[in-house]
Amino acid sequence: MIEKADREEFLNLVQENKRIIYKIGNLYCRDKADIEDLAQEIIYQLWRSWASFDAKAKFTTWMYRIALNVAISFYRKDSKRKDSHEPIAEHLIEMPEEKGNGETESNINLLMQFINELAALDKALMILYLEENSYREIAEILGITETNVATRIGRTKEKLKKKFELINN
Amino acid sequence: MQDINLSEIWKAQDEKLDRTLKLNLYIIDSLQKQKVRSKLGALARFKLVVAILGMVWVAFLGLLIYGNRMQNPYFTISVAIIFIFNVIAVVVYLNHYALLKSINYSDNITNTQQKLARLQVSTINIARILLLQTPFYSTWFWTQQQVMHDPRFWYISFPVAMIFVAFTVWLYISISPANMEKKKWVSRFMNIGMEYKSVTQARKFLVELEEFKNDSTL
Repeated sequence: MIEKADREEFLNLVQENKRIIYKIGNLYCRDKADIEDLAQEIIYQLWRSWASFDAKAKFTTWMYRIALNVAISFYRKDSKRKDSHEPIAEHLIEMPEEKGNGETESNINLLMQFINELAALDKALMILYLEENSYREIAEILGITETNVATRIGRTKEKLKKKFELINN
Repeated sequence: MQDINLSEIWKAQDEKLDRTLKLNLYIIDSLQKQKVRSKLGALARFKLVVAILGMVWVAFLGLLIYGNRMQNPYFTISVAIIFIFNVIAVVVYLNHYALLKSINYSDNITNTQQKLARLQVSTINIARILLLQTPFYSTWFWTQQQVMHDPRFWYISFPVAMIFVAFTVWLYISISPANMEKKKWVSRFMNIGMEYKSVTQARKFLVELEEFKNDSTL
């Protein structure tokens, strides 16, 4: 039986990594309702697998695997997942609108838009790269070779760079 | 734009999210208390039930073959062919069950996604293979007597069986996953039932996964 302390530890870890969950949701879904659904699904799957998490392993590596697997599966489906858990009426994510610096804000939106346009697996690759995981960790999470990781990151960065150039010129 | 700038933009977003993003912990607490229900688990149980029912059907067909023992070769051969198709289906469904049981979201991404996509594609292929047994349901009642001496056999039974063969082969070819993209009716036909959903995407995704895994050329 999972103890209360265990539940709290999980809550703290999710809280610490909420940014990652939100960003994955934001990059694999188009509207707010879908982002909420996906974030909820990710947390639900993390909790379901929590008992099998090896405390010696790195939490974020384990979390990326589950979160990205859930996101890619969700992304590939025609319809939203309705039967894995009971729908909850309240909002899981609250993000008050904040007016940021004009140029920074615009760059963030463009970067998110360009990553959003990538194929599902390249999206995962760029998220892991921008979250500063090592090539070795990325290779382990994705199940590909480090050489492949390096090649694809180089190519994808080039693609994003060109898109920014096109916008700026 | 230099590489460092992408990271800087990403980090700028992190700062913003740190300031503004809030998770509703009450909802997470509710999720933790929910009874575990898994779509993959339900699908695995469905596959197992179908495999068990298939085994019962196969055992029944085996008894029919044993009971007849070529007394009427048309009956024995027809039932034997149906038997073979169903044995294949049972094996495939047991394989699907094992595959579903082996899917773990904490495994690496390409492995897990490949398993999920293969499962979708395989589901449609076994349905097509099972279709091929249909004509043999129209030949099991033939007898040597009919074939040799009854003219109605050549006017009715034989043409009906041939129509079945032609229709089944045509359907087998037509409802291929590749045709789903080209022909609307195939796509509609194959979308009947939840198992056939997303087969086209699954096929495309398998190709994408293979390229993703193997592409390391600079």
